[in-house]
Amino acid sequence: MRLGSFFILSIFLAAPAWSVDPPSDASVRGGKTMEPKIIVNSGRLEWVPHKRELGAWPTLSYQDRRATPEPQRAAMTAPTNGDAARGKSLAWTWCIACHTLPGDEWPGTVGSPMWHYKQYNHADALVYQQIFDPRVFNPHTVMPAYGTFGLLADQDIRDLVAYLQSIE
Amino acid sequence: MTISRIALIFLLSFSTVAVAAQPFVYREFDLFEQYEPYVSGDLKLSGSYEYWKDPANLDYRIAGNPDENWKLNWKFMDPPFNQAVHGGHFALDRGEDLFGQLNIKGRFATCLGVKGGGKSTSKLAGLRAGYPRWRDDLKRVAGLEEVIEHCANKQGRVLQSGSYDNSAVSIYLASFSNGMPIAIDVARAGPMKESFERGRKLFHLKAGAFNFACSSCHSHNIGRRLRGNIITTPYGDAAHYPVYKTQYMLQSLHLRFVECNLDTRTQSLLPGSRPYTDLEVFMTALSNGYPVTVPAERDW
Ligand code: HEC
Ligand code: HEC
Repeated sequence: MRLGSFFILSIFLAAPAWSVDPPSDASVRGGKTMEPKIIVNSGRLEWVPHKRELGAWPTLSYQDRRATPEPQRAAMTAPTNGDAARGKSLAWTWCIACHTLPGDEWPGTVGSPMWHYKQYNHADALVYQQIFDPRVFNPHTVMPAYGTFGLLADQDIRDLVAYLQSIE
Repeated sequence: MTISRIALIFLLSFSTVAVAAQPFVYREFDLFEQYEPYVSGDLKLSGSYEYWKDPANLDYRIAGNPDENWKLNWKFMDPPFNQAVHGGHFALDRGEDLFGQLNIKGRFATCLGVKGGGKSTSKLAGLRAGYPRWRDDLKRVAGLEEVIEHCANKQGRVLQSGSYDNSAVSIYLASFSNGMPIAIDVARAGPMKESFERGRKLFHLKAGAFNFACSSCHSHNIGRRLRGNIITTPYGDAAHYPVYKTQYMLQSLHLRFVECNLDTRTQSLLPGSRPYTDLEVFMTALSNGYPVTVPAERDW
């Protein structure tokens, strides 16, 4: 498969959480993502900082005029040069909720199972694109676009490709 | 290119101020499903309604099977099946106390929309089953928790939507509608229908770091596993809120939206915000015809 031009992620990764003012109905204080804490026998909610800053991506607010990052093609330069062991630990963090990986006692079934992944013989560049932005193959996919949305860096994705391709 | 098909304009009719020309903003929507504003509409979505339509007669065998029990839409954690004493019962007591304090002169009930108001609790029956509704005083569609906050405020009491005390009063009020079917009208042209339509769109609007819509899970992956969690139908969910959560405390429906948003790495909104109220109207319409059931309990 021919892939288009290569895109650089750094703009996304370096972007400040809120490039615009947060919508007034978002749970944000001082630019930080807050989560509610319920206090027994109290008429007030307490808001405490959430473990993650989520301000970089569009919300459900009607005031939010930011666009969703559009689907992007990513041509992976050869060689793959990935670290399968590191890829495995990334996969157990980012992929296991949906995909069944060998050794998992709580198999996710939203995505396709990854037992014996190697048998499919997919080209590395194709697997890379699927992780970078699967919308290129399926515009209605539920799988996140880890590259385009700035969640994983180029080397992370290479490591994941190396891991998947190593699953006998 | 196929991509352009999903590059729908996020229509400005959504915003409160009508602005003439707004720049095109690229947002994505999950594939739209057809929904009926009635609980049996689930028969066309997941079909699990067969198993949970009669809350008094759930199948004990399915409830005991961890691979199958999602088909009961977790209704086995509701009364009458669930007889356990849990935090929801304490909230009910607290709600009774607070209601008594707020309604000494009967005005709180009037404000909530009880015809003739007054101190008698007998008139509270059915109140919960008819919310969210249009409120002339607020000039918008509002859910019960928002109205509790508003009416308490008029007496100088702070009962923020989503707070323990607000949800406690909400559960107490809902207890007078126990067994009564949810009945909100989103079919007749007007603000309720408009809110339902906005909620339906929002349910399919992708957001956040993972670019999920509510429907990514709740319409298109029902019965599938996200590790230990099995996703269930959105039909019938609004009938048992606010709910006692064993891992979280008392949770209003808007706080459940906060949780699903944060869990999927989407910046959450405030309880009582317009989008959450529209989602509440949408989800409540999907519970039309299903009995109010409090206090209920949920595990996750
Ligand atoms: C929210 C669910 C979800 C998550 C999380 C997820 N995926 Fe997927 N994935 C899917 C679905 C669904 C498909 C099936 C194809 C489609 O619908 O686009 C898929 C397909 C794939 C495929 C192509 C299938 C094949 O047999 O070749 C690969 C490779 C893949 N995912 C890798 C990953 C990796 C690596 C991660 C983590 C970094 C991940 N996925 C995270 C849902 C998910
Ligand atoms: C990545 C998956 C995912 C997404 C996206 C998601 N949810 Fe959920 N949601 C779940 C899971 C898992 C549960 C717990 C099991 C169940 O009841 O389905 C849940 C539970 C719920 C419940 C409680 C149901 C009950 O019986 O009490 C509501 C209400 C709900 N979600 C609404 C929403 C709304 C509204 C959105 C969008 C703003 C949303 N969810 C987005 C996974 C998701």
